[in-house]
Amino acid sequence: MQTSVDGNQSSNEIAGADQNILNLLDSMDNYLILVDSLSSSLRQGWLELASARYSMGASRVNSSLFDLKSHQASTTLQVDNGGIDTELPCFTLCKWTSSDEAKLEEDELLKNKSDSPPVQHLESEERKAEESGSPVTANNHVEKERFKSLSMFGTLVSPKLRATQSTFETTLETLVEMSNLRASLLCAYDHVQKDRKTD
Amino acid sequence: MANKPQIRTNSSAIMAMIADEDTITGFLLAGVGNVDLRRKTNYLIVDSKTTVKQIEEAFKEFTSREDIAIVLISQYVANMIRFLVDSYNKPIPAILEIPSKDHPYDPAHDSVLSRVKYLFSAESVAGDRR
Repeated sequence: MQTSVDGNQSSNEIAGADQNILNLLDSMDNYLILVDSLSSSLRQGWLELASARYSMGASRVNSSLFDLKSHQASTTLQVDNGGIDTELPCFTLCKWTSSDEAKLEEDELLKNKSDSPPVQHLESEERKAEESGSPVTANNHVEKERFKSLSMFGTLVSPKLRATQSTFETTLETLVEMSNLRASLLCAYDHVQKDRKTD
Repeated sequence: MANKPQIRTNSSAIMAMIADEDTITGFLLAGVGNVDLRRKTNYLIVDSKTTVKQIEEAFKEFTSREDIAIVLISQYVANMIRFLVDSYNKPIPAILEIPSKDHPYDPAHDSVLSRVKYLFSAESVAGDRR
């Protein structure tokens, strides 16, 4: 009787270990598929950027034009560090989120810290009133943010540069998926390592 | 140093990049560029004049900042600081090795995949048998 109970326990352990290995191999396979997708997406983006540089001129599309003034990222990430049920962190992409609220907070902070003139505070109040009075649709806001990003290369840009922007936005989605897969891959790897040590 | 923001559950974070100019340009167009009040950027453009020390410092800085959730690094750049990348084992920020224009992605060099490869390698299995 004891032998059959022990036998059941060990077969369950073996099944569990096999499952961990399968999870690891599945995660690895999915990760490699995503890397392949990322590679082709990046290649398309580089080609479109090269076309944009060709049509606009190299002096109009280069790193010396990058905006080095203080500004927040428009595309951010939400990170869920995992609750009780899961140890995996979860990344979510937030494209073209409002940088206005962050800018308002920064203005308030500067106003409180320094002896800034009332004009700065007034600008913040005017902005708040404008936003609450006339709501901007989500699409308009996204287009505004996209335009802001493009505007570092000038007001009139080549359609190829817009295409580059769109391609790299898609690439970001792939990268976030890869991050989540990487987390599950590392978790499966840890489980397999633990199984090997207990054997 | 002033108090650094912590990545709490469901809080906002940004991406950092260590790559060539074209890759960084593309991602900046997608809106991930961030410059803080001290004029520090969340990216490092790697070219022929960039030293290994600069890359190391950027990597250490980005992986220690608590507002950065993902660090993108071109694989050929990661190969220059391979010892540093391979010794990194925190879940956040996630380090993703990406291809570059002149250097296609090689899974054998990827930090995470090479660990898995070693797990199933003959040396690893022989080590267990001893």
